[in-house]
Parts: sequence; C-alpha cells; structure tokens
Amino acid sequence: MDKKIYIDPLFRKNPVTVLVLGICSSLAVTVKVEPALVMALSVTIVTGFANLIMSLLRNTIPNRIRIIVQLVVVAMLVILVDQILKAYSYEVSKQLSVFVGLIITNCIIMGRIEAFALGNKPFPSLIDGLANGAGYGMILVIISVLRELFGSGTIYGFQIIPLSWYAKNGGFYYNNGLMILPPMALILIGLFIWVQRSFDKDLQEK
Amino acid sequence: MDTNKNLYTIIYSTVLVVLVAVILAMAAYLLKDAQQRNISIETKQLVLRAVHLGEDATQLEADKAGYIEGEYAKYITDTTISEGGESLPLYICRIDSVQKYYIVPLHGAGLWGPIWGYIALKGDINTVYGAVFDHKGETPGLGAEIATPQFQAQFADKQIFDGDNFVSIGVIKGGAEKGNTHQVDAISGGTITSKALESMVKTCVGKYLEFFKSLKEDASQKLLLQSDSSAIASPITDSTAVSATAAEEVTSKK
Amino acid sequence: MQDLISIFVKSIFVENMVFAYFLGMCSFLAVSKSVKTATGLGIAVIFVLVVTLPVNYILYEYVLKPGALAWLDPSYANLDLSFLSFIIFIAVVASITQLVEMIVEKFTPGLYSSLGIFLPLIAVNCAILGGSLFMQERGYETLAQATTYALGSGIGWALAIISLAAIREKLKYSNVPKPLRGLGITFIMVGLMGLAFMSFMGIKL
Repeated sequence: MDKKIYIDPLFRKNPVTVLVLGICSSLAVTVKVEPALVMALSVTIVTGFANLIMSLLRNTIPNRIRIIVQLVVVAMLVILVDQILKAYSYEVSKQLSVFVGLIITNCIIMGRIEAFALGNKPFPSLIDGLANGAGYGMILVIISVLRELFGSGTIYGFQIIPLSWYAKNGGFYYNNGLMILPPMALILIGLFIWVQRSFDKDLQEK
Repeated sequence: MDTNKNLYTIIYSTVLVVLVAVILAMAAYLLKDAQQRNISIETKQLVLRAVHLGEDATQLEADKAGYIEGEYAKYITDTTISEGGESLPLYICRIDSVQKYYIVPLHGAGLWGPIWGYIALKGDINTVYGAVFDHKGETPGLGAEIATPQFQAQFADKQIFDGDNFVSIGVIKGGAEKGNTHQVDAISGGTITSKALESMVKTCVGKYLEFFKSLKEDASQKLLLQSDSSAIASPITDSTAVSATAAEEVTSKK
Repeated sequence: MQDLISIFVKSIFVENMVFAYFLGMCSFLAVSKSVKTATGLGIAVIFVLVVTLPVNYILYEYVLKPGALAWLDPSYANLDLSFLSFIIFIAVVASITQLVEMIVEKFTPGLYSSLGIFLPLIAVNCAILGGSLFMQERGYETLAQATTYALGSGIGWALAIISLAAIREKLKYSNVPKPLRGLGITFIMVGLMGLAFMSFMGIKL
C-alpha cells in the first residue's frame, strides 16, 4: 500500500495547518492536555470508522440522500463515543461538554468521506481516516502542551515548573494568563503554520 | 442496480434509520448504569466535601468510586422531611456519636447556567460547618471561582441566624465586614454569580426553617441529648425507600 | 425582559461563537475574503440559527429531555431520549439548510452564485449545531430565551466574519512574511480580534 496514505496527513497534507479543516470546535478544549488527548482520540476513532463504514456502503447509497446518510452515520458514531465517555471517563466528558457533539460537524470527517472514502476500498479508507484524525490530534496535543505548560505550569496535570519559582513562593515566575484564554490557541496555530511553511516552501501562499 | 429510484431511496433510508436507532438504544441501555453511577458518585462526593470528608479521593487513583461510596455509606444518611406538603431532601452526617451535621442541598441559576451545592450546619443549626458549590458553565476565573476551596472555606463558622431571625449569609461585593458572622467576600468580577449564590443559599435553606425550628425546640427540651436518633425521628421519615427517592431527586434536579 | 437583553448582548460580544468558541471557523476562513460574500453568509447563518434553534428547543423540551414525553402519557415519565439529541439536532439543521438553499436559489440567484458551494456547508457549520448544543447545555428556560440566544449568537458570528473579511481585504496590501501569508496571518489576526473582544468580559447587565 502506498505509504503516502498514512504519512501525508500527518505533515504535508495535515488537515489543520494545510487543508484548513476542522479547526472549528476543538481548539476550545486545548487549555489542558488531558481533554485534548481524549478529544484527539475520539476524533481519530470517529474519522476512521466513518470512513470505513461509508466506504463499505459507497456503492449502495442513493445519491440524493448522500449527505444525510453521511450525517446519520457520523452522528451515530459520535453519540456512541459520547455515551462511552460519559460511562467510563466522566470527568473528562464534563470538561469536553458540547465539544464532543461538535465532532459531528468537524469538517475533517465529512471532508475525508467525500474526498476519499466514497472512491476507495474499505481498508485504505480506514487508514486514511485514522491518519487524518491523528494529524489533527497531533496539532491539538502540541497546542495543548504549550498552553498548559505556560498557562498553568503543568503537563497532563504534573507540575513541570518548579513550585519554588513562583512569585507567591518567593520566586520570580508567573503563569502566563494569556495562554488560558481562547484566542491564544489561534495565535499558536498561526505561529505553528509559520514554522511549518518556513521549512516547506511549497506550501507557501503567494 | 439503479440506486436512484424513489422506492430504493425510501427503503434504504428506513433501514438505515431503524438500524441506527437500534444500535443507539442498545448502547444507551447498556451504558446507563455506569453513567448513573458516575452521576451519583459526583453527588456523593460533593455531599462528603461539605462535611470535609473524602477530600483525599482525588489523589486516590485506584478505586475512587468505591472509596467515595464506602465513606458515604459510613457517614451519611439520606432522608427527606416533609414541609408544607413538599418533601425536601436532607442529608445527615454522623462522624461519631457526638458530632452531627445537617447537610442541605442547594440549587439555583447562576449567570450562564445552573449552580448547585451543599451546605453543612453544625448541631446547633446555626453555625456553618462547611459548604461546597459547583456550576455548569460560569465564567472561568470569575464566576467559576465559586467552585474553589478558597471561596468555599469562607463559609466555615459563619452563622445563618441572628438571634432568632434567619438572615442567611450575605455574599458581599467589595469584601465582607471584618468579624461579621453573616457575610463572606464576593468574587471580584463575578458579581452576578455571587448574587445568585447568595439568593440560592437564602431560598434553599429558607425552606427548612420550620424543620430547624422544631429541631431546636426538641433540643431545648433536651430530648436530643438523651438519644440522638429517636429525637429527630418525628419530623423525619427515616426509611431506605424514602432515602432512595430523595437521592434520585437531587440528581435529577441537577 | 432584562434577562433577554442580557442573553442577547452576551451572546454577541462576550460569548461570541467565533472568538470564544472557534465555532464555524471552516466557512469563516474559506469565505471571509471579500466583505460582500461574508455579509451574505453571515445573514444566512443568522437566519438558519433563528429558525433551527427554536425548533430544536421545542423538540428537546417535549420529546428528548428526560421525562419530556410525560405530556403524552404519564407512563412515559421515565423515558430518557436525550442520547438521541445529537442526531435529531443535526437532522433538523440539515433539512432546514436545504430549505434555505432552495429559497435563496429561487429568489436571489445573484447571492446564490456568489455563495456557491458554501450554502450546503452551513449544514455542517459548527456554529449552527453549536448553537443548539449550547442551548441544551445551558438549559434556557423559555422559548423566548432560546430564540434571543439564537439571534444574538448569529449576529455575533456575522459581525465577526464581516469584520474579518474587511481586515483581509486591507491585508492584501501589507508586506507579510512569506511563510505567514494567507492562512497563518489570518489565524493570528482572529486571535488578536478575539483578545479585543475579551474586553467585553466584565460587562454587567
């Protein structure tokens, strides 16, 4: 199998930084690493399975109701993920709140179904979905690591910045409150794109 | 096969919808118990925190749920009291035979969504032993501060009665007066949430006034000292069946 | 009445769909290159939100909420269909956008041709579904509150996308570092605008 299917979505065709898909919902969950990881995992699973199911069904779907069928399948997968999170990871599901539901409208999922799954065999579709989900999750986790480290001094809940550095304990350090605010996620993505495009000149826009 | 015929489209969508509905209903049915247990654990943990119990549960990785349920079963009794035809849930905490706290559930509307909490009163039905609050979506850093231990710790040792008058606890913008036992500091920038919290405490605790009065009268007749469970048995219907519905009521209100 | 005004102002400025929750970013980034199309899409989103949100509110209150079916028969009081809410909401949104698309195509072909493929995209616009999900999450008490919220957040979204389009039109003449051109600078700009909108946070009504 062409290894481009699973390498490209991570870097050169990253859904977030290159194809501009699916930034919608999930950046609001990048304040902390834990919800971001769960979100990344949920999106990866939903994208993978949505691609798989749609690829299996691709020759049977009546064209007129194609979009509705896609939405129903995606919504079903998302509801399953939401129910499972509520049952086994209640704390995180509370933090994610409405953003689990918003996976339905994450453009990556519909985008990959339309662009790949409807024209390819089930197995490559599954891989394509998983890889795109992972490419998306990667950005999410990178952003959340930066935001949590500089915004709260922790990573995945573990204290990274030594407590004795903090001003309230007699040190010099303050958490950067700006990192916790939502706009910072966008600015970080902007900077991330800058870095990526400095290395890969083909991606630059005129 | 022609996939664009009307009949085919209709049959296809019907089969799809039925299939999806069956899968989802099954998932919802299978996972319901686990989900409800999570919700009840959350309630129980809040109740326990109101009386400063179970606070190390967050460090406990292994069996947090079991620990909370164990502690809860050990110390807390759910009951309901009926007042003016309404049945109100009440939690009673006995740490040992001497200490006894009454925990009143609170719920109200905050700025963005519901807020709720529990306030624990000491045996004199006046002094606050502890309080916890939680919220659905108050502004982080502002209204959401009501869920922090720092804010909640202010409530300890405040008094809800001034003599015989019920005054509740004021949440005062710009800082409570020093030494005033009926006031706590509001959250700066979170005025609306603070006000909502103040009125929540006042209305919810206010519903129990008659019951508290009868408790106090009983206490002044020194009935409470003689035996500590039978004295309050009259206003309280203390049966497991009633407690179960009470617990359910609290969770559904949330 | 006061709470309605409060919900309205808050949903436009404080809890702006774009700047506080990043909802609807896809069509936001794709369309906001000229003010004219941005205005068209903005109005379409306001319209779809104001139509779908009350419908979803009624469905949620009388069908999906735990115990909501009790009005049919008291024996249904224990039924909880809220797990179906995502799928019902998205179905309502999809069918209503389809309707809007047909109406726009029939009555304003000019607008239809300039919006092109973006009208069907409204169906999967996170701002629309997000509106319904926030409505469910926050538990608005009356239909009036839910509708006000829909109107406010729609206007907030339109405001954001139109002002961003205006900035992007000007940006063509600026000397932006090459790797940052296009997408990168747009993200940073949205972030900075979000910061500006945060100054409404302390607003009291």
